[in-house]
Amino acid sequence: MPVAQFDYIAPTTVHEAVAALVKGGRDTRVMAGGTDLIVKIRHRMLFPKCIVNLKRIAGLDAITVDKKNGLAIGATTLLADVANHKGICRHYPTVAEAAGATANVQVRNMGTVVGNLCNASPSADNAPTLMAMAATMDIAGPTGSRSVLLDQFFQGPGISALQVGEIVTAVRVPPPVAGSGTAYHSLSQRGKLDCSAVGVGTMVVLNGDRCTDARIIVGACAPVPMRTQAAEKMLIGKKMTDTLIRQAAQKASEETSPITDVRASAPYRWKMVSVLTIRALTDARKMALRKQ
Amino acid sequence: MRHDISLTVNGDTYNLTVEAWRTLNEVLREDLNLTGTKLGCGSGDCGACTVIVDGKSVSSCLTLAVEMDGRQILTVEGLAPSGETMHPIQEAFIEKGAIQCGFCTPGMELSALNLLKTNPRPSDTQIRSAISGNLCRCTGYNKIVDAISEAGRRMKPQSKTRR
Amino acid sequence: MNAHSIIGKDIPRTDGRAKATGQAIYADDIKLPGMLYGKLLRSPLPHARIVSIDTSQAAAMPGVRCVITGQDIPRVTYGNWRLFPGTQDEYALAMDKVRFIGDEVAAVAAVDRETAEAAIEQIIVEYEELPGVFDVVSSLAKGAPVVHDTSPTNISIDRKIAYGDIEAGFAASDYVREDTFTVHAVSHAYMEPCACVAQSDLDGRITLWTSTQTPYIVQCLLASTLNMRENDIRVIKPAVGGGFGGKMELRPWEFCSAFMARETGRPVKFTLTREEELAFGRRRHPMTIRSKVGFKNDGTLVAKDLHIYLDGGAYNAMGPTATFLSGNFGAMLYRYPNYRYLGEHVYTNKPPASAMRGFGAPQTLFAAETQMNMAAEELGIDPIQIRLKNAMVSGDELPGVATISSCGFVESLKEVRRISGWSRKRKNLKTGRGVGIGCYSFISGGVFNWFNTQYPFSAAEVRAFDDGTVHLLTMASDIGQGSDTVLKQILAETLGLKMEDIRLTAADTAMTPQADLGTWGSRVTLMAGNAVIDAAKKIKERLAGAVSARFNLNVIFDIEFADGRVYAAGKPDRGMTFGEAVAFVQKTQRGEPLLARGSYTPRGKGLVSPAFSFGAQVAEVAVDTDTGQIQVEKMWTAHDCGKVLNPMAVEGQLEGSVQMGLGYALTEQFVMDGGKTLNTTFLDYKMPNAADMPPGESVCIDTFEPEGPMGAKEAGEGLASPTAPAIAEAVFHATGYRCKDLPITPEKVLKGLGKL
Repeated sequence: MPVAQFDYIAPTTVHEAVAALVKGGRDTRVMAGGTDLIVKIRHRMLFPKCIVNLKRIAGLDAITVDKKNGLAIGATTLLADVANHKGICRHYPTVAEAAGATANVQVRNMGTVVGNLCNASPSADNAPTLMAMAATMDIAGPTGSRSVLLDQFFQGPGISALQVGEIVTAVRVPPPVAGSGTAYHSLSQRGKLDCSAVGVGTMVVLNGDRCTDARIIVGACAPVPMRTQAAEKMLIGKKMTDTLIRQAAQKASEETSPITDVRASAPYRWKMVSVLTIRALTDARKMALRKQ
Repeated sequence: MRHDISLTVNGDTYNLTVEAWRTLNEVLREDLNLTGTKLGCGSGDCGACTVIVDGKSVSSCLTLAVEMDGRQILTVEGLAPSGETMHPIQEAFIEKGAIQCGFCTPGMELSALNLLKTNPRPSDTQIRSAISGNLCRCTGYNKIVDAISEAGRRMKPQSKTRR
Repeated sequence: MNAHSIIGKDIPRTDGRAKATGQAIYADDIKLPGMLYGKLLRSPLPHARIVSIDTSQAAAMPGVRCVITGQDIPRVTYGNWRLFPGTQDEYALAMDKVRFIGDEVAAVAAVDRETAEAAIEQIIVEYEELPGVFDVVSSLAKGAPVVHDTSPTNISIDRKIAYGDIEAGFAASDYVREDTFTVHAVSHAYMEPCACVAQSDLDGRITLWTSTQTPYIVQCLLASTLNMRENDIRVIKPAVGGGFGGKMELRPWEFCSAFMARETGRPVKFTLTREEELAFGRRRHPMTIRSKVGFKNDGTLVAKDLHIYLDGGAYNAMGPTATFLSGNFGAMLYRYPNYRYLGEHVYTNKPPASAMRGFGAPQTLFAAETQMNMAAEELGIDPIQIRLKNAMVSGDELPGVATISSCGFVESLKEVRRISGWSRKRKNLKTGRGVGIGCYSFISGGVFNWFNTQYPFSAAEVRAFDDGTVHLLTMASDIGQGSDTVLKQILAETLGLKMEDIRLTAADTAMTPQADLGTWGSRVTLMAGNAVIDAAKKIKERLAGAVSARFNLNVIFDIEFADGRVYAAGKPDRGMTFGEAVAFVQKTQRGEPLLARGSYTPRGKGLVSPAFSFGAQVAEVAVDTDTGQIQVEKMWTAHDCGKVLNPMAVEGQLEGSVQMGLGYALTEQFVMDGGKTLNTTFLDYKMPNAADMPPGESVCIDTFEPEGPMGAKEAGEGLASPTAPAIAEAVFHATGYRCKDLPITPEKVLKGLGKL
C-alpha cells in the first residue's frame, strides 16, 4: 500500500481534540511530537485518515514541580525540556535522565515524554522509571476525565488503556517518599546513545538500611514494560545487602519473558535483566542512603 | 486535505498550500528549492535533514509541513550572513577538515548551532553527545568535534545567527 | 629539490564552501523541467521464476508515463568484468528469474513520486517460488538449488595464487596451526542514498547525472545495455555523498532512468530510500576463511595455505576482483616463502556483495592478523616482535604477482609500539582492559584491466591561459575523499601556481579526457595524480621553451616554476609571469591555445598494483565482563602512505576508517532471516556515532614511493582493515576470549567467558 495520505487538524483545546477523535474513530491518530507516528506512517505500518496534533493546545506543555502534589508533565512537554528542567533534575533526577537517554537531540526537541509512553512500546525509555515511581496518567475523554496508574496503562505492544476518543493530558509522579532512591540503567549494542535492548528502572525506600518499599520495572523484555513483583517482595522488609540485591535481580530476570529480535537475543536479555537490576538497585540504594 | 500555511524560512515568508502528509523536508527541497537540507534516512535516525525551528534543532523528515504554520525555520542556506561572509561554524568546518562528502554537513552544522547558542564553550563530550543524532560515514567525527569547538571560540556571545 | 609550497600542507578541500553552505548539488537536488519520478518494483522472494507480469493497471493510472519490465529492454547482460563476458550475469530488470529479495523486476515513471509509488503497487507479478540458498554451505551442498544455470555448482569464479612448495614448507615447519574464520556482511552506509536523473536530448543522446564513483564504467555499460554508442551517452558525476565501493557499477535505476527518459522524452529521476539501500543494496562480502600457517619455533613464517569462500549473493558484481585480491592480501605484510591460495566466489540468494573499502582486505586480514596473534600467543613471542621478524621490506617479491617498492612496515610497527606504550600495557593492564594489534597493507590502484578499457587508466588535460590561470580536466571522481583538492594541489605545485589559479572540471564523460576507471582500489591519487603531472610537464616544456627563447638562455639552464613565475634557475629576473609565458607560447603558435594531455597506465607492475601502503594499529579496550560490552578507549596508528600530500586529508581518511573499522568489529551487521534483511534502518543498523568514537593518535611514516606522484601512495582504504583484528586481540588480552567470527558482540563475549 502506498504511504497514507491523511488530513490534519490542530485543535486549540482538549475538548476539541477529544471531539475530533470521537468523530474520526480508529482511523484518527493523535500526534504530539510525531517522531514515532510519522516513522510508522512512512514505513507503512499505519494508515491513518486523519491526524490530530496536540501541540497547539495552550498549556498542555506545562511542567509543574510541587512539594505536595509532585511532578506533572504535560502531554506536549518535550523530552528535551524534561531532561533539562532544573526542578526535575533536582527532585526527580532519574526522570530527567531517562528523558535525556531517549533517542537523539533532534528527537528530544520534537518528541514528548507522554508520547513515548502512549506508543506503548515495551522498550520505551521513559516507562520503567515512571512506573517505578508510581506515576499516573491523566486521561481526558468524551465522558470526562480519569486517571490510570501507569502500571495499568500498558496492555500489550502498541496497546494502551486509551479508549477511542481519549487522550493523555499529563503524566503525574507523586512526590518522592522520604528515604527513597531511584535509578535507570539501559543498554544496547551501540552503547549509551541508542534505543535500548534492555532497560531497568527501580525505586527503593529505605528506613535505615532496611527496605520498606521497592519497585523494579523492566523494559523491552516482555510485551509491556513489566513490574517484577516477586523480586520486589524479596527486598521489602529486609536489610538491603549486596547478596539480597543479587538474589532479587536473579528473580527479576526469571519473571521476564524476553524475545529474540534484531537488537538482542532472549538469553542475553535474561542475563542483562539480572545485571542491570543489580546496578539499578545498587544505585537506587545509594541515592536513598544519601537522602536519609 | 490541502492546508494554507505561512512559514518563514531564513527570514523569507512563504504562503503555501500543502497536503497534510507532506513533510517539511519535502516542502523545503521540492517546493522552495532549498536543497541544502538533505534526506539521508527518512526515519529521524541520521540527522542529515536537521533544520532549526523556533530555535530548536529538529528532523525535517519527521516534521509535517502543515505544522509549520507561523513558525520560523532556519536551514543551512540561512546560516551564512551573506554570500561573501560565512558563519563561524561554516568557516571552522572548512578549515578544520570537518567536511568530506558533505552530505551530513548541513545537518551537522545546524546541530552545532543548536548546541553553541546555549553552550558556547562545550566540552568534547558535550559536543559528541550533541551530534550523536547526526551520522557521518566519512570523517570519524573527530574533525567535526574540533570544528565545533573552534566555532564556539569564534562565535561572539549572543551573536546574531538567525535573520 | 625545492621545498614544496602546497604539497604536504593542510589545504582545506576546495569544495568546502559549497558544501558548508548547502550549495553543492547532489543528484537528488537536480530538478529539470517536465521531470518524471521513477520507482522500482522489487522481488519479494529470494528465488523465483517469473511466470507473468501484468502492468496494464499501472500503465492506465493517471499520471503514469511509462512502465517497463525485463520484456521491454534489450536482452543484454552487464557486469564490470567486461574482459570476461561470461562473468557479466546481470540484467537491469529481471528477465526470467529473480535471485534475491529486492531484485529489480519492473520500473515506473510518473508525474510525481506518490503516483509512481502507487503505480508500482498495481503491477501484478506471478512467481513460481524456488528453493533458495542463503549461505555458502547450503549453496555448495550436493543437489543445492542452482542460482544461475551458467554455474551449476554455484561457484561463479575461482582464483588461485601459488608459489614456493607448500607441502615442503609445512614439512619444514616446527609449528603448524589451522583455523577457520568467518566474517560478516556490512553496509557501505554512505550518507547519500543513490539517486540519478537522466535526460534524452533532441538527438536522442542521453545525459545522466548520477551518484557514482565510476562515470566512465557507467557510460560504457549503459551504452551496451541500451544498444547505443558510448559517445551517445554522457555521464556527469555531481557532488557525491560517499561511496566506499558501493557506487562503482552500472545500477538498474541508472539504466531505467535513461531508458525511460528515451521512451518518454522527459527527464526521469530515481532516488533510493534508506530502506532500499539497507535491505537490497550492495554490501561487503561475508567470507569463510580457512588458513593453515607454518612457523619455525623462533616465529619465522614458512608456509601458508589459504582457502576462502566468498558469499557473493545473487550476482558477481565486483566479486571476481575481491576473489583475486583476497588471495593477494593473504600473502601481504609478511614473507611467506611458500604460499598457496584458492578463492571461490559462491552464489547465494541474497543481495549481491561487492566492493567495499578494503576490497577483500578487511576480511582476509582479520583472519591473517588474528591467526598471527594466536600463533604469537602459543609460541610465547610478543605479537609485535613476531611481526617484526617476518615483516615485508622494500624489494620483497610475491613471485609472479607483485614486487614491493617503498615499504615502511617495520617503521610502522616500531612507531605504533612506541606511541601506544605497548610494552608497558601488555604487561600491566588489569583484567578487563587490554591492548591488541592489527596491521594492513593495501594497493594503490589495480593494474589488471578487467574492464578492458581501450583508454589510459587515468588521463588529464591542462589548458593554460594568459591570465595566469589553468583549467584542469579529469574524469577522476571525487566522492568525498578529496581527490579534486589533491589533484589541484599536485598541479599547482608542479606549475608554481596557487590553488585559486586552478579551475577544475571533473567526471563528465563528454567533457573530460578519456578515460578514468573511477574511484576504487585507492587508485586516484597515484594514477590520476601521475596523469596530471604528465600533462603539466608537457605544459612546462612549452613554457620553458618560451622563456628560454625570450631571454636567449643558455641551454644548460634549468627553468623554475614558482610563485606564478617562470624563470631561469638562480636568475629570477630572467623570466616572466606564468600568464606572460602562456601568451608568448600562444603568439608563437599563431593563436592556438596552450593545452596538453597527460595519462597514466601502469605497465610491468605485476598482477596487482604499482605500489603498496603499510600500517599498524593498536587498540586499547575496556570490557565490561558482566554485560560483554566493549569500550574502545583509544586507537594508535602508524602508517606508511608514501609522501603525505595533504596531512589533514590523510588524517580525515584515517579517522573515517577507524569509524568504519569500529563498526565492522563491534556493532554493524545485517540481521538476516534466510534471504530477508531484518534491520533496514539506522536505528537497527548500528554504525558508530560521535559518542562511540575513541580518541586516536597517529604517525605517518614518511617514505617516498618512486611510482607515485611526488612520492605518494594509497591512504585511508587499507586502514579499514587493522581495526577489527586489533580490537579482537585487545579483547582477548583483556578477557581471554578469542573472537574468530565477526562482529564481536556483547553476547559472544559473554558466551566466550562462559557467562551465557
